[in-house]
Amino acid sequence: MNNKKIPNNTLKDIRAKLNNYPDSLKDNFEISLKLVSEIFTKEETILWALVGLKIAQVTTRSWEPSLEFYRATPNIIKYLPFNYIIQWGESGLDLSTESPTLASSYFKASKDTIKKLRSRHIDSWALSGKSLYNGTWKSSTLACQFFEHSPSIVKSLTFPQIEKFISILKIISNNSFDLASDSLTISTNIFGILGKNNEEFLELLPNIMESNFRELKGFLEACSKSLNKIDSNERINFIKIVIKLMQNGEMNIPMHITEMSKSLNEIDKENHSSILNLATSLEGSNSIYFINSVPKVLEKLTDNQLIKWVDTGKNIYKTNVEGALAFFKIESSYSEEVIENLSSSIELSRIKEIMELYCRGLAGSEINLENTGDLVEKNIGWVSNEAPSTEGSTVYLPAVTDKYTSKTDNFNWYKVVSTHQVAHVEFGSFRFNFTKPSIAFKDLRYKLEEKKIHNDENYKSQTWITDIQRFFNMFTDRQLSLDIFTVVEDGRLDERIKYEYPGVKNAYIKIQTDSFKQRKPIQELPAREALVELIVRIGLQELKSIPVPKEHKNAAKEIVLIANQVFNHSASVEDVAEATLRIYAIISQISNDNIDQDNWDNIDIDDINQEYNDSDDMDQLIENISQIPDTESNKDEQEYTPSEQVDYRGDFKPELSQLLNELRNQGEMSEDSNKDSNLTQQMLEEMFQSSAEIDVDSNVSEMQNASGKFANNILKETGVNINQQDYGDGAPSHVDEDGGALDPNEPQTFVYDEWDFRAGDYKPRWCIVHQKEMPEGDPNFYTTTLHSYRPLVQRIQRQFEMMVPETFRKVRKLDDGEDFDIDDVIEAMIDIKTGNSPNEKFYWRRNKVQRDVAVALLLDTSASTAEAIDDSKKPGDDWDAPDDPVKYMEWLKKRKSEGARRSYKRIIDVEKESIVLLINALESIGDMYGIYGFSGYGRENVEFYNIKDLHENFSENIKQRIDRISPLHATRMGPAIRHTITKLQKAEARTKLLFLISDGRPQDRGYSREGVEKEYAVHDTKMALDEAKKEDINAFCLTVDKSGHDYLKTMCEDIGYEVLDDIHALPERLLYLYRRLTM
Amino acid sequence: MAKSTKTLYRSYIIEEYNLTEEPYYLPVNDEVELFEAAYKQRIPVIFKGPTGCGKTRFIEYMSYKIGVPLTKVKKQDTQKQNNIPLVTIACHEDLTASDLVGRYLLEGDKTVWIDGPLTRAVKAGGICYLDEIVEARKDTTVIIHPLTDHRRILPVEKKGELLEAAEGFLLVLSYNPGYQSALKDLKQSTRQRFISVEFDYPSRDAEAEIIKHESGVDIQTSTQLAKLGEKVRNLKEHGLQEGSSTRLLIYAGKLISQGIKPRRACQVAINWAVTDDMSIQQSISELISSIFE
Repeated sequence: MNNKKIPNNTLKDIRAKLNNYPDSLKDNFEISLKLVSEIFTKEETILWALVGLKIAQVTTRSWEPSLEFYRATPNIIKYLPFNYIIQWGESGLDLSTESPTLASSYFKASKDTIKKLRSRHIDSWALSGKSLYNGTWKSSTLACQFFEHSPSIVKSLTFPQIEKFISILKIISNNSFDLASDSLTISTNIFGILGKNNEEFLELLPNIMESNFRELKGFLEACSKSLNKIDSNERINFIKIVIKLMQNGEMNIPMHITEMSKSLNEIDKENHSSILNLATSLEGSNSIYFINSVPKVLEKLTDNQLIKWVDTGKNIYKTNVEGALAFFKIESSYSEEVIENLSSSIELSRIKEIMELYCRGLAGSEINLENTGDLVEKNIGWVSNEAPSTEGSTVYLPAVTDKYTSKTDNFNWYKVVSTHQVAHVEFGSFRFNFTKPSIAFKDLRYKLEEKKIHNDENYKSQTWITDIQRFFNMFTDRQLSLDIFTVVEDGRLDERIKYEYPGVKNAYIKIQTDSFKQRKPIQELPAREALVELIVRIGLQELKSIPVPKEHKNAAKEIVLIANQVFNHSASVEDVAEATLRIYAIISQISNDNIDQDNWDNIDIDDINQEYNDSDDMDQLIENISQIPDTESNKDEQEYTPSEQVDYRGDFKPELSQLLNELRNQGEMSEDSNKDSNLTQQMLEEMFQSSAEIDVDSNVSEMQNASGKFANNILKETGVNINQQDYGDGAPSHVDEDGGALDPNEPQTFVYDEWDFRAGDYKPRWCIVHQKEMPEGDPNFYTTTLHSYRPLVQRIQRQFEMMVPETFRKVRKLDDGEDFDIDDVIEAMIDIKTGNSPNEKFYWRRNKVQRDVAVALLLDTSASTAEAIDDSKKPGDDWDAPDDPVKYMEWLKKRKSEGARRSYKRIIDVEKESIVLLINALESIGDMYGIYGFSGYGRENVEFYNIKDLHENFSENIKQRIDRISPLHATRMGPAIRHTITKLQKAEARTKLLFLISDGRPQDRGYSREGVEKEYAVHDTKMALDEAKKEDINAFCLTVDKSGHDYLKTMCEDIGYEVLDDIHALPERLLYLYRRLTM
Repeated sequence: MAKSTKTLYRSYIIEEYNLTEEPYYLPVNDEVELFEAAYKQRIPVIFKGPTGCGKTRFIEYMSYKIGVPLTKVKKQDTQKQNNIPLVTIACHEDLTASDLVGRYLLEGDKTVWIDGPLTRAVKAGGICYLDEIVEARKDTTVIIHPLTDHRRILPVEKKGELLEAAEGFLLVLSYNPGYQSALKDLKQSTRQRFISVEFDYPSRDAEAEIIKHESGVDIQTSTQLAKLGEKVRNLKEHGLQEGSSTRLLIYAGKLISQGIKPRRACQVAINWAVTDDMSIQQSISELISSIFE
C-alpha cells in the first residue's frame, strides 16, 4: 500500500469528507495534521489522512476510532517510521470492520504500547486482540480489555509471551468470557509482580486450568494480592508449590495462598529461598502447614535445625500421612518434642571459638578445634564422623550434639568431651616413654621384651618408630592389648580430670552414668570381651554388682585390683602400660567363650579393696604373654570383637597419635640439617598394617593400598621429608662466584653490595635490583577479600582506631602559645631569684600530633609461595616438587599446563589477603606505607615490584596491582631488603619499619659456591637486616615456614621475627604485629 | 567524749620509711643470691618480668633482708641503724628530671630548694627503685647514668652541685618486656649499665604457697587458684595480652577467704580483670567452672 501512486485526493477533499462527521473528528484531525505535515512529505501526509478517513467510512460509528487514530498519531509518530504508521492505521481499519469499539481501544492503547513494542509486532498485536473477538458483546469486552491492558502487559512480557498469553486467554474464553476477562486483568497485575519469571508462569498457567478451572480466578486474585510479600526471586517457586497443591486436589487454594504468603512475610526475605525449597520437597498438603508453621518454628530453630525438623516430618509421612500433617501443623506432641530437642542442640561452629581457647588453656599448647569430618577427610586412619578424637594437636568434635534436651546439658557434653580429649595431651597419653619407670608397678616391660627377643629371632628386627608401637609390638593379640590399654588409659584420665577439675565433676559423672546406660548388657558378651567391658565399667564408676562369668570371678577380681592401681589421679601413662601388660596376661589366658545366663555372678568393686601385689611368679606371667597361643582353639571360642567405644571418650588411637606427634617434631627439626629421619615410607606402611587401630575389614591387597595412602597422607600432614628418590638429573649447578661487579645500565635498576660471610666483607656492586611496577589486574580481589574477612575486618578496624593517638596534645615550653604554663612560669621566676638564667619558653599550645610511622612491607613472591596450603584439597602429586628453584619452575609450569586448575588456596593468596586487610587498616590510621614484592633469578636479576610506593596514595590502581601478585622465581632477600632500606631512608618519619613476609629461607641460583649456599644466603640476609637497624629502621621477619626457627635465629639475631605455624593466621597476626611494633 | 584529734594515718619521711616486719617472699630462683651479690658490689640491677609476678615485693624483701644483718656484731641496736631506706618511684610519661632530682620552690619572696626522691635516696644511701622505667621520658633516664657506673654521682644542675652517693645507695629498675614496642625500649646505653634479673610467675606449687600465705585460703583452694593462673596464662598470645598475675590470684584468694563463692571471686578478680574480650571471657569462665565447683 505504501507503493501507491500519488493519490488523487487532496487534503481539501479529505477535509470536505470529514465534515460529514462530528466536529470533534475534524478538530482532532487538524491538530494532528499540523505536526504530521511537518514530519511527513505532502504525499505521505495525504496517505495518512486517507487512512483515517477510511476508518471513519467503515460504519456509522467508526468515526470514533478514526478520531482516536488522528489523536494518537502525534504520540506515535516519534516511535514509528511512516510505513509502519500506515500499517498501524490499517490494522486499526481492519479492526474497525469487526468492531469500532475494538478499534477505538486499539488506538487508545497504542500510545503507551508502541513505546515498548517492536514495530514489526504491531500488526500481530492488533491481530492478537482481534483473535479474542468473536462477534459477541462479551468477547468485545475481553478484546477491548486486552488493548486497554496492553501498555502494562508489554512492559512485563515479550511478544512471544504475549501470544502465548493470548492463546491461554482464548482457551479460558471458550469456557467463560467473564473468567477470561477477570484473568486478563488480574494476570496483568501478576505479570508486573513476577517480572523475569513470567515465562515460567505462562508455562504453568495451563496446568492450573487443567486441574481446576473454577479455582483459577481465586488463584489469580490471591496471587496478585500475596506475591508481593514474597522475595522477588522466589515468587515463581511459590506459585509452583501452589500449583502442585492444586494438582493434588487441594481445596481452598486462595485461602492457603493468602495464609502462606502471610506467614512468609513474617520471615526474612533472604530465608525464603531455603524455606520454599524445603516446602517443594514435601508431599501432599504438608507444604501448606509447613510454611504456615515456619515462623513459629524458626523462633526456636536455626536454619540447619529446621532442615532436620523437616526431615523428621518427611520420615513420618512415609508411614503415616495424617501424622505428618499433624507434625507440620505442630499439632502433635512429637513435633513439639522434636523442636525442643533440636533447639537444645548445639552446633560446634557456635561454640568453637570459646572451646578452642578453653582447650588451649587446659593444654597449654596450640590446640585447634575441628569438626570430626575434617579428620576423616585427611584420610590418615580415622574413619568415624561421630566419635570425638584427638591426634595430639587438634581436638576433633562432632559438628552437632543433641544428646540432651537442654542446651546446658549439651554444652556440658561438649565440655566434658573436650576436657577428656585435651586430657590426652595435658596428662601425657601421647608422651608414653618405654623406658620411663612406672610408679605403681614393678616394670616388666623390659623383661618381656627380652623374653620376646630370646624366643623369637626375628623379633629384634621388628621396626618401631614410636615408644607406644614398641610396646604394642610385644603382644601377640594386638587388638586385645590396644583395647585394654585404651580402656585403662581413658579410665585413668577420667579420674585425673575429676580430681584436677572438681568444677566439671558433676557434669562428668552424669555423662559417665549416661554412657554406662547405653552399653550392651555385659551378659551378652563372651568371656574375654566381658572382662574388658568390666574395666570399662569400673572406669565409668559403675561399682555395684557388675556381672562377671562365675568361672572367671577370681580373674575378674585380679583385674579390678590392677585397674584400681591406675584409676587415680597420680597414675601415669607408664603405669597404664604396666597395668595393660598384667591384665593382658590374665585375659589372654581366657578363652572367648559364650557364657550361659546362669553362669554369671555379680561382684561389687567397693568390696575389693585390698592392695594389689604382684604375685611371686612374674616370670610365669611374662611367659604367658610371650608365648604364641594355640592356633587350635576350641570350637566355642568366639572371635574377639573390639570393645565398644564409650561415646564421650570417642576414638583414642595412641599409636597413630604418637606417631603423628613424633613425625611433626621431626618435620620441624630435620629441615635444615638434612639429616632426615631414617624413616622410610615402607616402615610407615608396615606400621599401619600391624596397628590394630586401623579398621581391617578389607582384604589384604586393599589394606596395603590403604596403608600406603595413610602413610602418604600422614607424611604430608606432618611435613616430613622422607628419603625420597633424588630428582637431580645431573643438571649443572650454577656457580655465579665468578664475574665481578655489575653496573646498572638500564633505568630503574639499582646496584647493591652483598655480604660474603667467608670473606667477612662485602662483595662490591654485586646484585642488580630491577624495580618494576606491578601490572594491574582485577580490582575485585580487594573487595572480595574484605568481604570474606568481614568479622575480622571489623575487629581490626576497631583496634586500629584505638591506636590513633589523641589528635590534640598539649605541647609545653613554647615561645608562644595559647596560654602560659604556671609551673614553667614559677620555674622561670625561681631561676631569676636564684640567679640562674630563666627559661622563657613557658607557653603551651595544643598541637596536632600525628603518628609518624613509615612502613615498608616486603613480600616474598618466590615460586614456593605457589604451594597449596589446604592439604585436603591439595592435588596429590605435590610431593615430587623439586627443591631447586629452576627445576621447580619447570615443574610448576608443567603442572599448570596439564591444566591443574586451582581451587585451593596458595601461600601467596593468603599473603595477598593479608596485604588487603593491612591496607584497609592502614588507610584508617594514616601511616605512610609501601608495599613491595620481590623475587628474582640470579644476582643480576633481582626483581623488585612496586605494588604501592611509600609516597603513593592508595587508589583503584593499587587494588588492581594486588590482584596481580603471583609466584615468580627465587628468593634473594639481601638486595631486596637493601633496596627497601634505600626507600625508607628517603621517607621522613620518626618510626620506620621494615616488615618482611616470607615463606622460607633465602634461596637463589648461584648464591655462592655449592654447599655453603644456604649459609651464605642467611648471612647476607642477616647483614642486610643489620644495615636496616643501623639506619634506625626496625626490621621484623614473619615467616610461614614451619621450620623457620633454625635459620631465623641466625638471620634475625637481635631482630624480631616470628614463625607462623598456621598460615591461615597470617592476616590476623600480621595486623597484630603491626600494631605492636608501631605503638 | 574527748575532743582530741587522732591521726588516722601514719606518714613517714622517705629516708625513715623502713619495713619493720619481714615482707613475705618466696624465692623462685636464685634471685636472692644474685641480688645480694650485686648489692655487695653495688651493681645496679634491672628486674624484668610480667606484671604482678612479685618484682616490687622482692625489692621490699631484699631491702629488709640486707638491712638486717644476719649476725649482730655489737651490742647496740644495730637492727635499726642498718636498715636501708627503700625509695620507690613510679615512672610515667611526664616524669621530668627535676621531678627526680629536685627543684626550687617559691616561698614568699624566697626560694627554697627541695630534694627530689632520687636525690634523697642518694643522700640517705637507700635503694632507689624506679618502677616501669620504660614509661619515663628518654631524657629522664639519662640523668641516672652517672649514678650507675664507678662515679656514683648525681649532678644537681640547678644548684651546680655534684652529689656523691652514700655508701648504701643502689639503683634498681624494673620493666615489663611484655609491653615493649619499637618505640618504647630501653636504650642500649642505659640497659648495659645494669645486670638483668628475669622474673616469671612462680611454679604451680610455689604460687599456691604464696597465695595461701597472702590470702589466707587453704592449700587446696590456693592450688586450684594457681592451676587456674597457669591455664589462663596458657591463653596469652591467643588474644590475651597478659596472663593473670600472681597478684590477681591473691585477690581472688582474699575474696574467697572473705566468703565469696570461688567461681564468683575468680570471675571478678581474674576473668574480668585480665580482659574485656567477650569470647575470651567466656573461655576463661569455662576454665573457672571446670576447676572450681
